[in-house]
Amino acid sequence: MTLHWLAALLIVGGFTLGLSMVDLPISRQKLQWYAWHKWIGITVFLLACARLGWRARYRAPPPVEMPAWQQRSATISHRLLYALMLVIPVSGWLYSSATGVQVVYLGWVPLPDLVPKHKELAAVLRAVHVTLNFTLLALVCVHTAAALKHHYVDRDSVLTRMLPGSRNP
Amino acid sequence: MVLLRSFVPSLGALLLAAGQAAAQGVLIDKSEIRFISRQMGVNVEGRFRRWKANIVFLPKELGRSKADLDVDLASIDLASDESETEVKRPQWFDTGKFPIAKFVSSSIRDLGSDRYEVSGTLTIKGITHDATVPLTLKKDAAGNNLAEGSFTIKRLDYKIGEGEWADPETVANEVIVRVRMVLPPVK
Repeated sequence: MTLHWLAALLIVGGFTLGLSMVDLPISRQKLQWYAWHKWIGITVFLLACARLGWRARYRAPPPVEMPAWQQRSATISHRLLYALMLVIPVSGWLYSSATGVQVVYLGWVPLPDLVPKHKELAAVLRAVHVTLNFTLLALVCVHTAAALKHHYVDRDSVLTRMLPGSRNP
Repeated sequence: MVLLRSFVPSLGALLLAAGQAAAQGVLIDKSEIRFISRQMGVNVEGRFRRWKANIVFLPKELGRSKADLDVDLASIDLASDESETEVKRPQWFDTGKFPIAKFVSSSIRDLGSDRYEVSGTLTIKGITHDATVPLTLKKDAAGNNLAEGSFTIKRLDYKIGEGEWADPETVANEVIVRVRMVLPPVK
């Protein structure tokens, strides 16, 4: 649960930072924002790995009563969310490598360049990174809307059991 | 994007080198001039797409050998179009006024075991400093001489990055330049 909200915060922050930084004129600030954006992305990736590890050890709490189609949709969208949390940071890392810019996590751990510098490849990877991010945005909206619908319309415990103070992990 | 230019030997070099076990000219499309700068602790790689070289390499007559290079600075390949546009501005290379970086060799020393040291002057942005380029020579599969080496320049010596960009905390003063020259043997 803590991991969920931490990831949520970082995803919203990383996304907003990503959108704003590209329009900055070249400056020290721009370089700094790019660095932060990359650190956030790598952190989201690591958090997603930690959560998958946690899920492998501890089963998810049983779902609350809901129609089968909702249950299915929830499963699919959760899997997609996990997939995107893993794939988007990697696509960003690939893109950074293709532009010839190394990623140094937290300004401390240099990550290897995944691909050699290649301009055309960089343009493709940029488009992939952006598209995946807007897919994630759409999915986060659905995810949030569903949570709110469960809370305000169905009045079940789907949202409240994810809140701090709840007994579920 | 990759500029394919066929091997154009300088006539003078050809005449000079004729009959020697030596090399002249350079296979431009197989050779490269790359560099690595450090921005806020992060390595950023780039290269120059267009340059010309007048290289005469006579191992037994190093006094008559030379390596002169003209690099078209506006042909820079950097992380993004935005940064390429940026470095052409007056604060950086000022390519409008100073389109060419020039290396002119003055002497080539044999250091033994296929290592050489090329000394000369490097002129960027109208500023000239001495530069020394260590090179290691190898033969490639096609029988060409492959000369590889790297050297460090201090960008601020050439006023590359002035004003807000002069701060070496943002962009390090040291820039590593890597050259890889493929020199065809004289037929």
